[in-house]
Amino acid sequence: MSAFANVVFGGVFHAAVLFLVAAGLQLVFGVQKIVNLACGSFYALGAYFGISLVNAALKGGMPPLLLLPVLIAAGVLMAIVGPPIERLLRTVYGRDESLQLLLTFALVLMFQDVLRFIWGPNPQSLGNEVLAYGKLSAGDFTVPVYNLLVIAAALAAACLIGFFLRRTTYGRLLRATAENRSMAEALGVNVRTVYAVVFSLGTLLGTLGGALVVPTSAASLDMAIEFVIEAFAVVVIGGLGSMAGALVGALLVGLIRAFSLVVYPEFEILAIYLIVIATLLIRPSGLFGRAVS
Amino acid sequence: MTPLLEAKGVSKFFGEFCALREVSVAVAANEFVSIVGPNGAGKTTLVNLLTGLLLPSSGQVFFKGQTISGVGPIALAKRGMARTFQLVQIFPQLTVAETIAAAVISEEGKQWRLLHALALDAAVTRRVEEVAAIFGLSDRLQHAARALSQGEKKLLDVASAFALRPEVILLDEPTSGVSTSEKHALMRTLVGAAKAAGVKSVILVEHDMDLVAAYSERIVALAEGKVLADLPPGPFFADPHIVATVVGKRSASHAQHQGS
Amino acid sequence: MSEAPLRLLLVALGIAALALVPTLAPPFYANLLIPFFAYSVALIGFNLLFGYTGLLSFGHAMYLGLGAYAAAVVAGVLGIRVFEVVLLAAALAAVVVALPIGFLCVRYTGIFFGMLTLAFGMLAHSFLFKFYHLTGGDSGMRIPRMRILGLEFDAYNKIELLAGPFYYYCLGLMVLAGLLMWRIVHSPFGLQVRALRDNPQKAEYLGVRVRQLRLLAYVISAVYGAIGGAILGFRIGLADPELVHWTHSGHLVFMTVLGGFSSFFGPVVGALTLTLLQDQLQSITQYWRFVLGAILAAIVIFFPRGLAGLAIDTAGRLARRKPSQVAA
Repeated sequence: MSAFANVVFGGVFHAAVLFLVAAGLQLVFGVQKIVNLACGSFYALGAYFGISLVNAALKGGMPPLLLLPVLIAAGVLMAIVGPPIERLLRTVYGRDESLQLLLTFALVLMFQDVLRFIWGPNPQSLGNEVLAYGKLSAGDFTVPVYNLLVIAAALAAACLIGFFLRRTTYGRLLRATAENRSMAEALGVNVRTVYAVVFSLGTLLGTLGGALVVPTSAASLDMAIEFVIEAFAVVVIGGLGSMAGALVGALLVGLIRAFSLVVYPEFEILAIYLIVIATLLIRPSGLFGRAVS
Repeated sequence: MTPLLEAKGVSKFFGEFCALREVSVAVAANEFVSIVGPNGAGKTTLVNLLTGLLLPSSGQVFFKGQTISGVGPIALAKRGMARTFQLVQIFPQLTVAETIAAAVISEEGKQWRLLHALALDAAVTRRVEEVAAIFGLSDRLQHAARALSQGEKKLLDVASAFALRPEVILLDEPTSGVSTSEKHALMRTLVGAAKAAGVKSVILVEHDMDLVAAYSERIVALAEGKVLADLPPGPFFADPHIVATVVGKRSASHAQHQGS
Repeated sequence: MSEAPLRLLLVALGIAALALVPTLAPPFYANLLIPFFAYSVALIGFNLLFGYTGLLSFGHAMYLGLGAYAAAVVAGVLGIRVFEVVLLAAALAAVVVALPIGFLCVRYTGIFFGMLTLAFGMLAHSFLFKFYHLTGGDSGMRIPRMRILGLEFDAYNKIELLAGPFYYYCLGLMVLAGLLMWRIVHSPFGLQVRALRDNPQKAEYLGVRVRQLRLLAYVISAVYGAIGGAILGFRIGLADPELVHWTHSGHLVFMTVLGGFSSFFGPVVGALTLTLLQDQLQSITQYWRFVLGAILAAIVIFFPRGLAGLAIDTAGRLARRKPSQVAA
């Protein structure tokens, strides 16, 4: 029983981080119709910077308990790359979607070397600061408090995003632009600003996800490339452009990976791809997406 | 004589909404039939049913004695029916000759010839030139389709459909967007082309009652999903109720003068 | 038309120049160009799918990997060290794999096609990676030296073989592959494929069997990819899962767009440019990926028609004619 619970919580933790990045992807795709292959690069950027910031803070005498806020700060700070990149992407808005996709691929390539340049080719990880948060135990089953905090943070983010999109004027504006850009423009929406805001938000979610994951995983150059696939799996399964889809999709992918690892390790990521393919074939709009022609 | 194309008692529901109710329409060989009616009368639905794009909720559609319910555009083309749309459809990057050739290739079944040099195929070239000539596009053959004028694009759209050697062609508002002065010229070209291309029957969906009156042998009027009238132009325009429903009261008397 | 003879002349010059490389340049360069031949063949096929049929596959590297692994299985495991047999096996394997996958994928276009092909590609990658008992995992599978045209070339060591007989063999293969594709693209099939790229709905109404033709284009491109993969495999001597990673598929697209996907020769130009460029960059800086990414970004933003497109446009402007609007 406790082994089961361990696996579940491991999966949910992974899902929490996945959700953040996937939500970023969904926002950008939903509003701007751009598939951002560089989301994994943002994730890696947040991770690396998170480690650097924590290490610097520790040298400056930070108590280990401030780990989470510092990581959140790191994630938020790295979102600064969002606006200039959006400015770059602006040059290909409205062009063929393959060209847009390729531009984001170009970004992936460039980011790889930027990360390598700043942080070197070797994976990096934090020390044991995370242990300061302690663990929660119930019999044989233990879960690090940090993981629970991250799960809570992701849930909070989900609620915030949901509230923002559904209850605030600006959120409704975003949804209107996502639905019909020209109509929104005709109604006076400054679509340029909306796109800039949306992309920055999407970037923020990506870098935040990366920053939050580092106490449990190393930051590596591979991260940027491998994570993209998982994030896309979430987006496909949940439905392109849907926030609820990002949440449910992330949960599914996180749990499936966690369970596959235990039950049949060879199948671990294969299972995800099979589900992605099945989703695309049976119900391309995913669980929550709008119907596809 | 068995009709070439026939809808027998077709109804079509979209959820709760009834677009067509028990509609029966038959088109015989060598007939020119127009389908008219106010917007929302069910014309588009009927046309989609007649061209095998939609499955009727009840009833059947027959083409040359065989049912074509829901067969789809490719099978439709193969069986000998072609259709054009209100919105001009072209292949932006192809030339006029290539556009027509695409249809000719289908008609001659050459699409699987991977190693066959198309430029050297005399049969295709001849047929392309033939069709282009009928539509007055001979001197535009090497032009990119997107460089044509709107009127020429329309002609190309229809020409490529004619290149399939269809027995029945359905023209969906072919003169929409064309200036009034050019409408008749366009219709004359289309009717002449139909004859030259060996088309047996033409179905025209139109709003312009002048054109309808001038070319149709029979007019089928739809209103609220049902057949309101199925008459030759004379009796059709002589009935004020029909004309009022289809055309609208203000132009009723005008059309009446035109049609009789 | 003065365009066609000029083009023919340029192509002939290009082939002649390539043929002279082993005699005029150190073996290093001939060796360097072998992957160029491999990618050329693969991309000539890829562009049938992308440039001509309008389907962007982000999983095409899967077929290159298939070719390499076919070589490993046939020449390595089964011991049939005959390159022609390997090529045949690669082609057959490609057909067998591409038919069902293509069948499933061509029901979609645009982003969904891209994602499906990406997913299948990564599925293949993880399969090759995880099932290491079968596939050697991340160590890959060895590809031994093979006979080409029945000849062993015992006297040559690997480098000499690659820079000598094998070089000419690949040049010949590339020319053959190009000729074949030229015929295909200028056939009735090629025309209908371009029609369905431009307007699938209208094409259907003209009797074009959109899905079937897309599938055929997909399978043909897969076969070309596998042949390219076999050539790569011969040179590297190893079939490994990284050949199949999505970033490798991304490189294929990169080369195609760099060269120009609306031109027949674009992919070959792109393959040559990127092969030489990458080699030069790698000797200058360890941050060559950044430079390549920047180049790709520049191409996408400023020269989306690629180098070939740029050349055609410039030539057109020089000759005071309108830029060519029709695919070469």
